[in-house]
Amino acid sequence: MEGNIAVILPIVILMGGALVIYVLTRALRLSNKIEALLAILVLAGALAALLNLVQPLNDLANINDLFYGSRQPGGILFFPNIVGVYIGVIACFICLFICAYSGEYLSRDPRFLLFYPMILLTIAGLLSMFFAADLFNLFLMAELTTITGSALIAFRFTKEEAVKAGFKYLVMSSLGTMTMMLGIYFIYRGTGRLYLTEIASMTNDFTRIGAACFLVGFSIKAGVVPLHTWVPDVYHHAPSAVSGLFAGITSKSMLFIMPMIALQLGMTAQELGLYLMVFASFNMLVGVIRMLTQQQLRRFLSYSSIAQTGYLMFTLGIGYYYQLPSAYAAGLYLLSIIAFMKCLAFLTAGNYEYRFGTGNINQLMGANRLVPLNAFAFSTALAGLSGIPLLAGFTGKWLIFTAALTAGDAFAIAGLVIFLVCTVIGSIGYLPMLVKQYQRSRANLKSLEKNQLTVTSTLWIGVPVVVLTLIVIVTGVFPTPWINLIENVVSLVAAV
Amino acid sequence: MNTYAYLLSGITLLPVLGVIILLLWKKATKTQAAFLGIISETCALIIPIILLSELRAGRSVVFSLPWIPNMGVSFSLELNWLSLVFLITEVLVTLAAMIYSLGDKDGEKRSHYYYALLLLFSLGMSGTTLADDVFLFYIFWELMLIASCILIISWGHGENRLRVALKYFIITHIGSLMVLVCLILLYVNFGTASLSALTLQAATLPVQTQVFMIIFFLIGFCIKMAIFPVHLWLPDAHTVAPMPVTIILAAAMLSMGTYGVLRFPVALFSLEAMQPFALWMMIAGLISEVYGALMALAEKDIKRIIAYSSVSQMGYILFGLGSLTHDGMVGSIMHVIYHAIVKALLFMVVGILLAAARERNIDKIGGLAKKMPVITVCAAIGILGISGMPPLGIFNSEWMIFAGGFDSGFPIVLTVITLLGSILTVIYSLRFFGKIFFGDTKPEKVDTNISKTLLISTVAVTVFLIIEGLTPGPLLAWSELGLVSILGGLP
Repeated sequence: MEGNIAVILPIVILMGGALVIYVLTRALRLSNKIEALLAILVLAGALAALLNLVQPLNDLANINDLFYGSRQPGGILFFPNIVGVYIGVIACFICLFICAYSGEYLSRDPRFLLFYPMILLTIAGLLSMFFAADLFNLFLMAELTTITGSALIAFRFTKEEAVKAGFKYLVMSSLGTMTMMLGIYFIYRGTGRLYLTEIASMTNDFTRIGAACFLVGFSIKAGVVPLHTWVPDVYHHAPSAVSGLFAGITSKSMLFIMPMIALQLGMTAQELGLYLMVFASFNMLVGVIRMLTQQQLRRFLSYSSIAQTGYLMFTLGIGYYYQLPSAYAAGLYLLSIIAFMKCLAFLTAGNYEYRFGTGNINQLMGANRLVPLNAFAFSTALAGLSGIPLLAGFTGKWLIFTAALTAGDAFAIAGLVIFLVCTVIGSIGYLPMLVKQYQRSRANLKSLEKNQLTVTSTLWIGVPVVVLTLIVIVTGVFPTPWINLIENVVSLVAAV
Repeated sequence: MNTYAYLLSGITLLPVLGVIILLLWKKATKTQAAFLGIISETCALIIPIILLSELRAGRSVVFSLPWIPNMGVSFSLELNWLSLVFLITEVLVTLAAMIYSLGDKDGEKRSHYYYALLLLFSLGMSGTTLADDVFLFYIFWELMLIASCILIISWGHGENRLRVALKYFIITHIGSLMVLVCLILLYVNFGTASLSALTLQAATLPVQTQVFMIIFFLIGFCIKMAIFPVHLWLPDAHTVAPMPVTIILAAAMLSMGTYGVLRFPVALFSLEAMQPFALWMMIAGLISEVYGALMALAEKDIKRIIAYSSVSQMGYILFGLGSLTHDGMVGSIMHVIYHAIVKALLFMVVGILLAAARERNIDKIGGLAKKMPVITVCAAIGILGISGMPPLGIFNSEWMIFAGGFDSGFPIVLTVITLLGSILTVIYSLRFFGKIFFGDTKPEKVDTNISKTLLISTVAVTVFLIIEGLTPGPLLAWSELGLVSILGGLP
């Protein structure tokens, strides 16, 4: 093993932290809240370790020395990249809220012991996928996220739907990793190499077939239509905190790993862009149309998530197809704001379920009287997702428009028209969902009051919800610092 | 930036302050909340009057702060003659509606939210007229939609208010998105969001792009103006909304569409670029005028009658704008203002009638002239006003619009039909007035104990309508200056 240990420090902290937390909690019989606090500490450490990588990544002259691992056959090699660090930071940040929220949200679940280590391992797996320099380790880390993901989804294993959802995810996600495995076979058959940098200089038809396999594999994990069938069940039946994590960051991050791999395997940027733009339209349409008929908050959010994956694919597709760094930057911005808005939406929807035992919007009519803060936060998330001005989503919408109009040709305009249509259809879905919380219904209100599972919410739920709400609002009103940051990231990517 | 610039920012900041206070002042009674709203709107009215001296000196007032520098977006406001006309109209209407609301039963519950939203609604319109940045323009443009939509959902009448609000939101949002596409297209082409800078450069765009943008702008703004056939949101929204909101919707918000047409396609591109659309605008205006009037004739719900009359009146405005002549366009600007006053008056009368007779069907209301003499006089003046009878204001604006139509160079028959179409306005207006005040069918019970606030505000608007009609000089001058400020002179 050689290189800079700082490269793998975030992954080590996350994986080691998961193990330590598991052992400590099991040995000392720690409470859910203490375990949540420990997880927060580990995440803070990982966050610091990730931020520590920013400076070396800016040093372009010595960037090739920034690695860790063994270059021997069979060795593990990690090369950090700025996009991976950026997305890792967002993921850790989101997880801070998710862990804090779960400190209260999981108080009725006796199996909380495994929850936090699994969350940490999922993030470690995600980060490793970004940093992995060879295909075999990429495959291993993809499998790690599949296994931990399935365990998190089926966390409430006494519920049949949760087990079914977990199994569905396991099958679909394994199908994705198996397709990647098939791709690795073709690539190895064609080049005899597994290191991406080596393969990049000897691409051939085999590597291109391999790239296509990776494309399919990542598409399953990202929930690209028609490979999206796991998304509604998983986001609906997993604990809400897990849905927030998956919908917010882990599944959408795959769209950023996908190009990093595919482009090194011989796929052209135009081909990748075309693929993303074409399938983006399916995602947008299927997402918003299916969204309209949903009454369950989390199922509704699942379909909205499919649509948002489409928006993200469309923006990235423009970036690759037309070679527009500004569109790629828009994609990164979109990923960040969707992460916060989606996480907020799932956490607040989960809070409704935690409080009233139902996630059906018709049964939650008038819920704002009992949980005004939650209703406001949920409304902020929905309004943000629908692109209402002065919330984070609007700047994202503006950037998508700008990207498509900058590209300017018929193909991009056709995509923009689909995006516009979906925005309008989306509003038809978002508005009633948002309004019904505030609709006065005495009978419903009485029933809600009577069936409250808990009367007061603690800071464990309150703080993450308030902070996320503020982020959605502040990012909408003052997006400049964020846009600056993303522009720096993109300029660094371009320079590398 | 000088003192005037900071003063200008007060037009948007004072309502924000009002909203913050109202949101925090949860125990505010309706009267307290209303007074806060009225104070805020009064300040918003006084400020542009103070700034008149600057405009008279030939200087527009500009307030600008950088906002999102890497996107070239700034918080820029500009007061010029055109924005002044629309701003004062909007603020006056909101002020009248707020005073009227004191005597109205709507907004009794959660008053602080109600008035906060009314202020936001007004802020959306003020900001739209003042914004000198396309990003900012769109934010204010959407703000007025969101605020009015929440008002309809939360304080609207009837079980179907959510459905109506959704319809209103969706249809107008489609228009907003069409406008947004054009705004971003401008931004992408010139790399700036400054409206002043874009105005200087937009005419250099390729002709095809200009044509595309003019079409999108026109459709987008026509949706806001409720021009046939994109008017579908209007009758229901006007009927379901609480009366003060209906007044603002009909009298002020519709005019924002007109402002949009003048500020964007007309001001950005040359009149030559607009020429191919002129005939279509006139035809659309004519159809809207006749259709609105026919629907007003066929309707039995008194609120919907006045709502359809808005569709008809907006038709006149589009007809005048389409003529692309000095008279036609100045007439349209004047018509916006006169229509705002008349429509506010008529809806105020309808509100009083609904409160008194508790009946909306025109066939079931009648003979109210004896029981409500003051309201009868106000309604009569309003009806004469909307029918275009001299010396009331609409006569002046219609005269100019028709003159513009004859000058436009398009077949005279178009203008003749529009002129004849105005007979329909007279018919539905007289039907409305005759049936309600002199009809034989009397409602079972009429509560003639009208709130003094309602009465005073209605009489005040009536007097204002008469004064405006008798002294059209200043308004004509302002409208001409408004047009010159965006076009620099007209043939």
